[in-house]
Amino acid sequence: MGGVSVDSGGKSGRRSVDSELNLIPMIDLFVVCVLFLIMTAVWSQMARIEANAQVPGPPRTDEEVEKVEPEKMLTVEMKQDDRFVLIWKSGATVHATSEVPRKGQPITLGTETVMRYPDLATEIAKQWKEYGSHQNDNDRKVDQAIISVDNRAPFSDIIAVIDAIYTLKRTYKGAEINAFQVTFSAR
Amino acid sequence: MARGKRKFEHSMIQKPGRRLMHKVPLRFVQNKVSGGGARSVNTSLALIPLIDFFVVVVLFLLMSFSASGEIPVDKNTKLPSAENTLDMIDAPVVAITGTNILVDGSPAGSTRPIEDSGRLQKIDDLHNILKNKRELWKQLNPKAESPGVVVMQVDHRVSALVVKSVFQTAAFAGYPNVSFMVGQLPKTKKGGEH
Repeated sequence: MGGVSVDSGGKSGRRSVDSELNLIPMIDLFVVCVLFLIMTAVWSQMARIEANAQVPGPPRTDEEVEKVEPEKMLTVEMKQDDRFVLIWKSGATVHATSEVPRKGQPITLGTETVMRYPDLATEIAKQWKEYGSHQNDNDRKVDQAIISVDNRAPFSDIIAVIDAIYTLKRTYKGAEINAFQVTFSAR
Repeated sequence: MARGKRKFEHSMIQKPGRRLMHKVPLRFVQNKVSGGGARSVNTSLALIPLIDFFVVVVLFLLMSFSASGEIPVDKNTKLPSAENTLDMIDAPVVAITGTNILVDGSPAGSTRPIEDSGRLQKIDDLHNILKNKRELWKQLNPKAESPGVVVMQVDHRVSALVVKSVFQTAAFAGYPNVSFMVGQLPKTKKGGEH
């Protein structure tokens, strides 16, 4: 039997004070714990990336429609293979248009290659400082980014662009939040 | 017993040797039990390193333990990865696997009609299932406001047309806050390195 003897005397005819700790139940418990934790372990770490759909509600007849100045929104067009087009507009008024070369930076993780667009993220951050409507720390609202994507584009490209948009952070009451909320263009 | 030997036994440093049954005064019993001069078949196992190892393994597994469990992902579905992500939440999962659309594992339509038509479409089955889920949630939580969150589990090769169609169908069924399930990329340092 496995045990640990604590030797502390017991000579000259007196009753031994040696005590033996029985380690077998402890080892059994460890083995059961290890097996349980290995069986329930989650090895693949999943996360989520948010998008939001601006679905208009049904018109309410009891409320007078308030005229609100349309806010500036960023549209990221990814319809060409070689460039992104960034358009800042409020309603039908276009404030600025610029192009960013579609230069992907591949990242290899094991057998997987993930495309990222750091140039796009940098350009969006630069333009947001100039055109962004919600930059104040007390402002709860965030700017809207609309992704206009070609219907044949793969989903991985959409996620890469959303990821580039979410690279830009701002603070709200001291807490770090995304500077943009992303939605899709219906067209 | 010789005088010199007795002196040796009481010294601080003792001669190593067999200790089995050493309290039995009869020499022949000691010899019989401890192997009689032959090599003993008793071996002691060092349990302390084993216990140390178990403690380290248990601590590591406890630290990486997730009580929320794993959201099953179809083996044919390869999710894209992103860096600026949020933690997973408990919400209905809309999965697109091949040409099938599943809501929490139950079939909810096909992507074939969307791909054939080549334009955005509302998926009726998906719409009805999500709407029923929302109604059920409202009945169970009459005072709470529905978060309207749905998690989309989409393969990285699926076309934007299908993604947009499912996205809009979910939004019209009362789930305007869509989250895309992705793998977690390591955070980039300020200099742009991983």
